[in-house]
Order: sequence, then C-alpha cells, then structure tokens
Amino acid sequence: MRVLVIDPDPARAALVAEGLAGVDPLEVRQSATFDAAEAVRFAPDVIVIACDSPDRDTLESLREATQANPRPIVMFADRSEPGLAEQAVRAGVAAYVVDGLAPGRVRSVLDVAMTRFSLMQQLRGDLARAKADLESRKTIDRAKGLLMKERGLDEAAAYGLLRKLAMDKGRPIGAVAADLLAFAGILKGDGS
Amino acid sequence: MTALTLGFIPLTDCAPLMVAREKGFFSDEGLAVSLSREASWATLRDKVVFGALDGAHMLGPMAIAATLAADRPSAAMIAPMALNRNGAGITVSTALAEQMRERPLAAVIAARRAAGAPPLTFAVVFPFSIHNYALRDWLVAAGVDPDRDVSIVVVPPPRMVEQLADGRIDGFCVGAPWNAVAMATGAGEVQATTSTLLPGAPDKVLGVSGAWMSRDQRPLDGLLRALTRAGVWADARENREELAALLSRPDAVGVPAAAIARALDNEIVFQADGASVPSQADALWILSQMQRWEQLAAGVDVAAIAARVYRADLLEKALAGPR
Repeated sequence: MRVLVIDPDPARAALVAEGLAGVDPLEVRQSATFDAAEAVRFAPDVIVIACDSPDRDTLESLREATQANPRPIVMFADRSEPGLAEQAVRAGVAAYVVDGLAPGRVRSVLDVAMTRFSLMQQLRGDLARAKADLESRKTIDRAKGLLMKERGLDEAAAYGLLRKLAMDKGRPIGAVAADLLAFAGILKGDGS
Repeated sequence: MTALTLGFIPLTDCAPLMVAREKGFFSDEGLAVSLSREASWATLRDKVVFGALDGAHMLGPMAIAATLAADRPSAAMIAPMALNRNGAGITVSTALAEQMRERPLAAVIAARRAAGAPPLTFAVVFPFSIHNYALRDWLVAAGVDPDRDVSIVVVPPPRMVEQLADGRIDGFCVGAPWNAVAMATGAGEVQATTSTLLPGAPDKVLGVSGAWMSRDQRPLDGLLRALTRAGVWADARENREELAALLSRPDAVGVPAAAIARALDNEIVFQADGASVPSQADALWILSQMQRWEQLAAGVDVAAIAARVYRADLLEKALAGPR
C-alpha cells in the first residue's frame, strides 16, 4: 500500500510517516504541498492530509470526476467507516482513499496519523508550558531581587512574601511577581 | 452571553463577520463570537458538520452540494443569509494577456495544440463555486470548451497569485481581493469581473448546520441581525476606508488595504437592495449551473433542495424579532 502524507508542518509529517512505516508493508512519501502530477506518478492508495493544509480543496476537486473530464476517483474516508472522518477531522487530519481500498486498512493508517498528530500536539504543548514555566521563574527571581533590595529581606523571606501575596490574592505566584515588577516600573516612571 | 465560533476564509466578502465583531454588533445581541480563519473550504465545511464551528462564511454552491451529499442531519447545510454579491473576477497571467492582445483566446489555444504544448490551466476556488461557473461561462463565450480545451484545477484563494506568478496556472477566477493583488504585483491582468459576467449572482452565504433547527434558535436570530447591521455598515461608502483597513489586518485577509479598497470601490455588495436575502431564485440558479456542468445526479428534486437550503424565512423571522 502506498500512502502520501501532505502536511505544511514537515516535523509532523515526518512523525506520521515514521509511525506508518511500522504498520504495514507500505511505501510512505511526505510532502508539504499536494502536487497533482507528482501524485499521479506515485499513485497512492491513501492520501493523509493535515486539516490546516489549504490543499484539501484541490483533493476535494478530484472527487468530482465528470464523464467529460475523467480523473481518478478519490473519496473521503468517511464512506468506508462512519464516524472515522469526524474523529480524524477533530484530531486535525483528513484522509482520502482511492476507491476499492479495504476499510480496515484505511482505519489502521488513520489511527496512526491521529495518534501522531496528538503526540505532536502534546509535544508542542509541553514545550510551550516549559517555556512559560521558565519565564515565570525568571520573573519570580527578579521580583525576589527587587524585594531583597527595596525591603532589605533575605532570599527566603522575599520568596515567603511573594507566596503570601499570591495566596492572599488567590493568583499564581508568577502573576503576582509580574504585577510587582510592573508597579515598580511605574513608580520609577518608566511605565507611562 | 452566548459563545459562538464562526469560520471564514481570507476574502473580502468575509467583511460582515469582521465588521460585526469590530463594531460590537455581535455583543449587542448578547453573543460572544470568535472568528476562526480556516485553511480550506473542505475543512471549514467539515468543522460545521461536526459542530466545531457554529457557522461559517461559505460558498453558496458548497452549502447546496454538501446537503445533496449529506449522510447525516448535521451535514445538511442551511443558508439563512447571503453575505455578498459580485466582487470576483477572472485574471490571466501577463504572458497570456500579451498573447490575447494579438489573437482571441480560442486561437491561442488552437496554436498551442498545433505546437503540441500542454493545455492552458485555469484555477477556481472549489468545484462548487460561482467562480467555477463564471470561468466556464467566460470560456464558452470565447469559443472554448471548458472540459476539453483547457484544464481546470482547484487552488485555495491565498495561493492563486503565487501560482500565477510561478507559471503553474495561466489564469484564475477568484473573489476579491486576489484579482487586485495579481494586478498590483504584476502577476496578471484582470479580464472580466463577475459583476459584468453574472451581475448580482449569489456568492457567499452564512452556512450553518441543519442541527441548528433542533437547537435554541435565538442565538442564530441574533447572529442574523448582527450580520445584517454589519452588511449595512460595510456597504456605506463613508466606511469603506475603515473597512479596507480592518480587512487588511493579518488575522483577517492580510493584504495591503489599497488592494482591498479597489474591489470595494465599484463592485461588491453586502446588503443593499436585498443582496443579503438568500432567495429561491439564487438556489435554483446555482442548481441549474450544477446540472449544466454535470455535478448533479439525475432525478434530484431541485425545487425541494432549494427550499431546504436557502431559507430566507429564517432571516425574515430574525429581522422581525426583538433585539
């Protein structure tokens, strides 16, 4: 079976392609954009495409074969298994299969694609959170430094004060620290 | 406040959505609307079907085609309001425009065939779109068979100009502002506009899922009132500069305001003279085009489909209702 993976995000496409390689004896090709001529040469049985790729509309047009203009009959994976397309689109991926492919095989390809999409989303989410945590720690350190300097506290006392403020206001300590720094800036005259 | 999410594609005719948000018309109706820019018509449609979007800026013919193919109630679309008429155009590459100054298009095509060159490629935005029908009309009028003499492909609107400049396509039919962008960048020359080819033809609609009919319809009524006010605002000449600036933002259409202003100047209509009414005549015209170009299976009851999708009665009810 030949699978073509279209995804404007090359890292995610690579992840999907890698996952598919273990599933079935198959050939996987990945591309950032859909090129009809290239697709005809490769003759995929399944095209897996990211929902954020604008090329989905080009693939939709291949489903509209007319007698006067014969083209390969491509159909949306939903017709092979109800509910699968909804699940896939919610995961951010769509699949088009060439007519005649066994539904079970479509399912296995889509399952991998969906898993890899959510894995990528989790990776990105974790990374964003780690970045935010790092930023927040820097802000807390700066606020601590400010309190140590202005109030003559030691580090533990400065942190204790920040934590008390956060608890009193019911807000995260990073947010309280950011407020403190912003107000200090205004008092110094650089926040107007 | 009721929270709703509406999808759109970066085109000038998404203006009513942008204006209603910017001018607070949605919040006046107790609606907290977020707008989601979508990468393709297919994904926009699927998200409406699966409920990830509460409605969308949609091609009228797409709403009808989706209903004809519907395998579940939520896949049947309803167009309770039209968003615009006119504004699209046909542009060809600078090279093709040059050849067309020397001889008509049909002769250019005959010469290419005699020389063994591949057929010219024209792009439209979706198989079910007035852009496809307008291009085909224009080709027929020039003595060209759209199915045999040229190749017609689908390209998403924001990619049209780049593909024309690359030479991957020789011409296209697309909505504003992409014809003006092609002119401004020197990639192509506008040959015709839909305002002269198909004056007043129905283009985009607000497309919602048939599932709305079993939901509380008050938010939908509010949506229709807000978008109507937005259409009136967008039509007003004195607001057009502000509108062009609003649409040029990166989270809207994201092209220079000058290109957007050009198409607004003389063509596109959002609300005036009943433009926002999704009439039966509109739906029947679209269905006749689908029939003409072999997109419609035999035996479809066109009047029933038109009445099911194009629901001017819903707009009328919403506008009669209280604020």
